[in-house]
Amino acid sequence: MSARTIAVPVSGAGLRMAALLLLIVVYTLYSTGPFVWVAAMSLRTTTEIAANPYGMPWPAHFEKFASAWFDSNYDTYFLNSVTIVLSAVALLTIIGGMAAHCFARYRFRFKSALYFLIFSTIIFPPQVTVIGLFQIMVDYGLYNTRVGLVLVYVSIQLPITIYILEAFFARIPKDLFEAARIDGYSEWSIFWRISLPVAMPAIATTVILNTILLWNEFLYAVVLITEDDKRTLPLGVLRFLGDQLEDVGMIATGLMIAIVPVVLIYVFFSERLIQGMTAGAVK
Amino acid sequence: MASHPANTGQDRDHANPPGVIAAFLFPALLVYAALTALPVLRTFYNSTHLVVPNRPSEWIGFTHYAKLWTDAIFWKAIWNTLTWAAVAPVLEVAVATLLALCLYAKVPFSRFLRVAWFTPVLMSYVVVGILWMWIYNYEWGALNTMLRAVGLGSLAQPWLGHPDTALASLIAVTTWMWTGFNMVVILAAMSSLPSEVLEAAELDNCGWLAKLWYVILPLIRPTLLNLIVLSFIGKMKIFDLVWVTTQGNPLWATETVSTYVYKRAFQWSTFDLGYPSAIAVIWFFIVLAGVLGLTALFRQQDKLEY
Repeated sequence: MSARTIAVPVSGAGLRMAALLLLIVVYTLYSTGPFVWVAAMSLRTTTEIAANPYGMPWPAHFEKFASAWFDSNYDTYFLNSVTIVLSAVALLTIIGGMAAHCFARYRFRFKSALYFLIFSTIIFPPQVTVIGLFQIMVDYGLYNTRVGLVLVYVSIQLPITIYILEAFFARIPKDLFEAARIDGYSEWSIFWRISLPVAMPAIATTVILNTILLWNEFLYAVVLITEDDKRTLPLGVLRFLGDQLEDVGMIATGLMIAIVPVVLIYVFFSERLIQGMTAGAVK
Repeated sequence: MASHPANTGQDRDHANPPGVIAAFLFPALLVYAALTALPVLRTFYNSTHLVVPNRPSEWIGFTHYAKLWTDAIFWKAIWNTLTWAAVAPVLEVAVATLLALCLYAKVPFSRFLRVAWFTPVLMSYVVVGILWMWIYNYEWGALNTMLRAVGLGSLAQPWLGHPDTALASLIAVTTWMWTGFNMVVILAAMSSLPSEVLEAAELDNCGWLAKLWYVILPLIRPTLLNLIVLSFIGKMKIFDLVWVTTQGNPLWATETVSTYVYKRAFQWSTFDLGYPSAIAVIWFFIVLAGVLGLTALFRQQDKLEY
């Protein structure tokens, strides 16, 4: 009995570790392999890819990025995405921050009801807003405008922004506000000069989260934007796909242009980004 | 969650000046009212009207809803989306739990692996969709290439082009995308488990499988259920991936409610926004019922605190 209990766990553990490592290697290849593949293809010409889709990118054709950028309108799409996303994120931080500060700091009638009302929209299927939104944007003259898309982006990310910031603001000690009030700070400067700076980590989280999600947003963009010079990057990539269906190499280059900013943000802020993305799931 | 009792007693409350509160809330409420509440109400209104451009909407009662009963594509879309929303969450959470256990067992490079596995969820569905269209490509796609390499070439097929495999192939894509996300959340829940409990199980000479089944899983159950609900909500919304890859083809095998609403509202030249609005309204109630049902079910099972 004792011999078995000693012998079995040792070899069993070794075997288990090997199986575990194998599983890990396979899953890592599975989850990251597609990106490595598209990165390789983005540096190869379509002729090279047709000869061998899984070849190495030597020699690397970096000029493909220049040609996608200048010849296929990617400069416009990229610039549109940057402007729209950054404007929306800036507005979200201010508007969401104000509301979150208010929910965390003051007591007032219907507070829970209002909070619930705003937060419950995260379960709304977009189908139920998108048609009405389209009509309203047409009525207001905001259809096919970048301003309209910015406002819509603010509205779709507002609940999660308020949720993350409120949780953080609520943990700021009340004494800090009391001290500020005694020092003669106005309510606005308490928000602007105390809440916001103290909550910088949470703000950074929401900024990064909103940037990524809006950078990738597709449904509202495709419904509200039809003119080519106002398209965001996801729409541009798709248009490119429609035009050059067979030109796999150039499409891969286009995909990389959309991926690189996300990867850069992720490399520098991976923990914060993971924190933001999972904020709604972790209790 | 904000759950302080409303301050009803003091109207002139120095600490809670109503004017300031209103000013702080105003922009958020304005955005909410104009761009969330109003569109939803408008969609509800549409659903009982014939909404055609350049003409006043005409009230037609529940005609749209009645027509839905006999719309085979609508039912197909509902069926596909519900299948997606039922299968994907279970797959994602199950695989994610396994992966989280791997990292929980303190394998080397676990920090790096966590970050690497999370990557797919950061990509837009447009990028992911195009990428997987290539992976599923019949002639040179990675999947068929691998099948042929291991001698299973007879299984090779146009995965997204065949009605029998298209939906499953797309479900596999969302699973690929979201498993890492779920894994990170589950790993966080596991890491916050009290170590005494696990040590106690260790002392009781509990096998690792038993430890997993009787100790770890019950303790992280609230997290798992929460993830299932979240994933369910996400799949009920699915649009981008389908739109980029198959647009609902072949033969409506991958039509989802979102893509069908989009087609009826903005693509088919019926010019009527009322009918797709009726679909959206029905779908709104189905999602609501699904979320409430799941939450109630889970809560009833072990009195969870959400």
